[in-house]
Amino acid sequence: MATIDPVLLGIMWDRLNAITSEMTAALIRTSFSTIVRESYDLSVVVFDAKGRALAQGRLSAPGHSGTAANTIRYVMDNFPVAEMLPGDLFITNDPWHGTGHVYDMNFVRPVFRKNRLIGFTFSDTHMPDMGGLGFSANIADKFAEGLHLPAVRLIRDGKVDPSIMAIIRSNVRVSEQVVGDIMANVTCNELGERLLLEFMDEYRLTDLGALGDAIIGKSEAAMREAIARIPNGIYENRMQIEGLDGSLTLACRCTVKDGTIAVDFAGSDRIVAGAINVPFCYTRAMAIFALRLLTVPNLPANEGSIGPLSFSAPDNCILNALPPAPTAGRHVVGHYVTPLVMGAFADALPERVQAQSGMVDLINVQGKVVGGREMSNMFFASGGYGAMDGMDGMPTLATPASMKIIPIEVWETLTGITIESKRLLPDSGGAGKYRGGLGQEVIMRNDPGHPLTLSFFGRQTDFAPQGVRGGKPGTPHRYTIEGKSVHAIGRSTLDANEKLVVILPGGGGYGDPKQRDPDSVRRDVRDGFVSAEGARRDYGIDVVRSPAGEKA
Amino acid sequence: MSYRLGVDIGGTFTDLALLDENSGGVTIHKLLTTPKEPAQAVLQGMIELLAMAKAPVQEITALIHGTTLVTNAVIERKGSLCAMIVTKGFRDVLSIGAENRYDQFDMRLRYPEPLVSRPLIFEIDERIGPDGKVRKALDEAELRAILTKARAAGAEALAVCLLHSYVEPKHEQRIKEIATKEFPGFYVSASSDVLPFMREFERWTTTTMNAYVARMMDLYIQKLESGLQREKFAGRFYIMTSNGGTVTPDTARTYPVRLLESGPAAGALMSAHVSRLLGLPDLLSFDMGGTTAKGALIVGHEPQKKYELEVAHIHEHKTGSGFTVKIPVIDMVEIGMGGGSIAGIDERGVIKVGPRSAGAEPGPACYGQDGQLPTITDANLLLGFLDPDFFLGGRMKLDRAAAEQAIMGRLGKPLGIEAMHAAWGIHQTANEGMAQAFRLHAAERGHDYRSFAMTAFGGSGPLHAARIARILRIPHVVFPVGAGVMSAFGLLVSPLSFETVLSRTLAIDGLDDKTLDAAFAAPIAEATAFLERAGLSRKDIRIRRRLDMRYRGQGYEIEILLPDPSGKSTRVSELGDLFGKEYERVFSTSFLREPLEIVNFKVEAVGPAPKMQAGYRLLRQAEGAALKGHRMVYQPESQGLVSCPVYDRAALKPADMLEGPALIEEKESTSIINAGDRITVDAGMNLVAEIGVAERR
Repeated sequence: MATIDPVLLGIMWDRLNAITSEMTAALIRTSFSTIVRESYDLSVVVFDAKGRALAQGRLSAPGHSGTAANTIRYVMDNFPVAEMLPGDLFITNDPWHGTGHVYDMNFVRPVFRKNRLIGFTFSDTHMPDMGGLGFSANIADKFAEGLHLPAVRLIRDGKVDPSIMAIIRSNVRVSEQVVGDIMANVTCNELGERLLLEFMDEYRLTDLGALGDAIIGKSEAAMREAIARIPNGIYENRMQIEGLDGSLTLACRCTVKDGTIAVDFAGSDRIVAGAINVPFCYTRAMAIFALRLLTVPNLPANEGSIGPLSFSAPDNCILNALPPAPTAGRHVVGHYVTPLVMGAFADALPERVQAQSGMVDLINVQGKVVGGREMSNMFFASGGYGAMDGMDGMPTLATPASMKIIPIEVWETLTGITIESKRLLPDSGGAGKYRGGLGQEVIMRNDPGHPLTLSFFGRQTDFAPQGVRGGKPGTPHRYTIEGKSVHAIGRSTLDANEKLVVILPGGGGYGDPKQRDPDSVRRDVRDGFVSAEGARRDYGIDVVRSPAGEKA
Repeated sequence: MSYRLGVDIGGTFTDLALLDENSGGVTIHKLLTTPKEPAQAVLQGMIELLAMAKAPVQEITALIHGTTLVTNAVIERKGSLCAMIVTKGFRDVLSIGAENRYDQFDMRLRYPEPLVSRPLIFEIDERIGPDGKVRKALDEAELRAILTKARAAGAEALAVCLLHSYVEPKHEQRIKEIATKEFPGFYVSASSDVLPFMREFERWTTTTMNAYVARMMDLYIQKLESGLQREKFAGRFYIMTSNGGTVTPDTARTYPVRLLESGPAAGALMSAHVSRLLGLPDLLSFDMGGTTAKGALIVGHEPQKKYELEVAHIHEHKTGSGFTVKIPVIDMVEIGMGGGSIAGIDERGVIKVGPRSAGAEPGPACYGQDGQLPTITDANLLLGFLDPDFFLGGRMKLDRAAAEQAIMGRLGKPLGIEAMHAAWGIHQTANEGMAQAFRLHAAERGHDYRSFAMTAFGGSGPLHAARIARILRIPHVVFPVGAGVMSAFGLLVSPLSFETVLSRTLAIDGLDDKTLDAAFAAPIAEATAFLERAGLSRKDIRIRRRLDMRYRGQGYEIEILLPDPSGKSTRVSELGDLFGKEYERVFSTSFLREPLEIVNFKVEAVGPAPKMQAGYRLLRQAEGAALKGHRMVYQPESQGLVSCPVYDRAALKPADMLEGPALIEEKESTSIINAGDRITVDAGMNLVAEIGVAERR
């Protein structure tokens, strides 16, 4: 089968993607972890026998783009293919060969057809717990982050290794749920194998080689063609972000040459003492995500679409942290890689770039509810979406990662903590020809009568979301307890009856505000998204407030 | 003599089916929908159909009505100017939304604008806690000021949406009372009435939608009722809701949001009926029309329920780009794949079909209305699956040359393949896309579709069903009688029903049987009262109780159906087992050692199913030979055109057996079976296909 008929290729390719979707559905359905079920902190991939990624589930997290290929290689290095058996399954949560922190467990299953290795299925999910100090960015010691498993054979010839399970059980807090999630991944990979073999039977394929060549060839060609529309040259960007103490510089230099892009992160600051260091696999994933959005966003992720891209960074800069740097909160810094790389192309791809968004904010809340029962819950909230050419940013919608919120009624029932208000912040969206999305203000009151411990994963306090192409920044992030500011990546106590105010940043604007359509400014004033003063100050437009209900 | 009449208003056609309750004979009729005055087509259709069946209007005992009017009003934004009153601090709940992106790779994703504009959303000082206790009393002076402002702004409807009103509705009810008494004329919807579910964003979205369409539905029902009266209609008049049950016009006026997607629900209901008649307990109901395809799983003869529906998608049919409303619905999956779906070449350089649709204007290229883009219908025409002279029974001539030109230009040339091959590519890519959506739908719910049968209907469903079944390894496909007006048929078999929910968190530890019964008492009384008001007596009302349960502290629930309470009521001690069984089915794992709690109490009151024990048959039999002739049809197994017999469905007789490939034509659609498949005509004139039977022999 030298060349595959184009009709058949499309159908078979769709089927491979469909297999990853079905695996993803099974994984989500059977997972316990809320972050998996609501925010899809997972990925699912199908590989050929050489370890080339052919299809990745569309619901995979941006931070897991292309990480699985490294995981497969890592497993193959430790377990020669000749020693693999049908029914084997390998796992690892090594931050440098997985997705950058120990909370994601990776699963690799070799698939055999008539006793011959034809490919691999892969999945990973964020585990409900991995032991150690628990999910936090305030960890200075890698060994305190949790249980660390190198590549191990969890299942040999269809039988689970009881000693590995016992090690996991005795190291984690909610062992029933963790084991449940491990088995959800096992089920997902078993399903993947079955679907892959059924598919091969149906199309009478003896291996995935020729199909893989065609998929990779077409994807690589499409990617090169899209990159070739960017003039050869060097595209750079730098940004300041806040670290644990003091600011950090991130830098990238992208070299576009004849349909390829090489990204180097030299110039970024050194690793720090806390757990916000980023292993290179995660940096690479967030950069791949940015480059896909800039080129062919709908092209399915596979070995080919990543082929024309290469990445480098100096050892132990914060975007290439080496062991034993702590990495538990690697996303706190790693999420910036996407706007960093995207920003380099602001002038080259004006219709594709997005101003910075107000990123998602996480607060891990621990304490007691009324009656004294222990509780531990994550509160999520998002800032405004960065504007794009032709499009105002949506309110309260984050990039590059987004989280579905817990409804107010559910939160209050679960925790006893009262949310006094949750409102959009007028004038928070960065001014621009297209306005940044509005941030929000959330006011919470500790009503249960016991002190609460809050672990914050906030950002953009010292450096607000930037605009692009002349657009203005949005307003910054802020936490205050009883009116006093607290550190965005710190840990604080909220005493009984005290109030926490969370200000989520507005998204950056796009283009010169003076070019904004005056009717859009008037509509924003009517809807209360922009104040009359803001309209005058940022857009130079005087608006007389129209009465409620009048159509703009 | 007595008759039941089912009338379904769709986007293009209004379908009618008249059942003779004594003989089981059914007469059907189809006419164009009259969008400006939808009642007109209903009345005209009824008069025409009664004439065809020679039935006097006085002998209609019941008229059951399904409609897409509510859905369309939301999609086209044709509802009332609506104001909203919310708890102080929460004016922006609708704009803030769920804060998640439904597509990671689509930077230009969009969300629907709320149905109430922000200047008309008013905050009122009041607060009720999650325990139902009043923390801050309602400020009635402020309320009156708000209502005065809303009226001055021209609002016709009012949505009342307060936090935790599902536990304690009294503030919402007081607002409703003052608004109704002191400001008459507002169409008022309170979130604690519409469906008292926990989760403010969805409950409030649902409530605003209810308020938004209330006036329009009220006027429509009024018009229809007076029209029916003029025609001397003396039977009962029921309206179909999304959950497959019917309600009285008064209930429909109060809860118009529950009428969303009632047509498709009726189709699924009909599939459940077919499942019972044919003894096929598990089946996939497959409906494919002009712009979308829909699938629903029937398990153990029952359509599956859910309490959430996404409607009015505004961005490429993508899940997440519509309004999420909480109402009881039949669980269905919808795909942007219909006869009008446009085919092209995507970023990868391979064929992609949908979700963009050519719609009715310009429509597929073969409609000859200047459509330049190839669609699924164009492909089906070129492949010989459709007869250019017998589309919609010959009402519309199709242009084969235009179809070929569009397909060749957009797909054939760029891919370097023949038009016929490209057409097959469109057809099969669409089949794979639908099969994928059905697989996912089943996988998400923990069902294995491989043992299911399929029912196929809608204008395009019977053209694609046999191939999709082959992909899914589904062994049997039923092309039911009346497939072209399936929803109208479904209306004839729908019982009166009403569902309600009580959101109340209760731990199982320490719960006693009395408390469990007491929690169910209020929703049971409410649901029963609705049916009694519709004229049913208590002994005819069946109550179904469901519980949403979960492990304490987990964010997701499992629904369990409690055994029929007519004998003994369920003991608290049984709940653990019931939960465990369902948990194991969904999670494929044994359960955890964690305490359990109940989150929602759901109650459904159902009246008796309409009698159709004689089955039903279509009064449209033709005389003469069933074989109409032969047509060249593309069969990929032969890599080209094959002469294929064409049968007239109306002339087939029970026990007739046809070997594939074969085409069976009726006015509304064409059914296809392929080489290796076989069709048997059953006693009720359904076509029952065995897929791949030749390969299994």
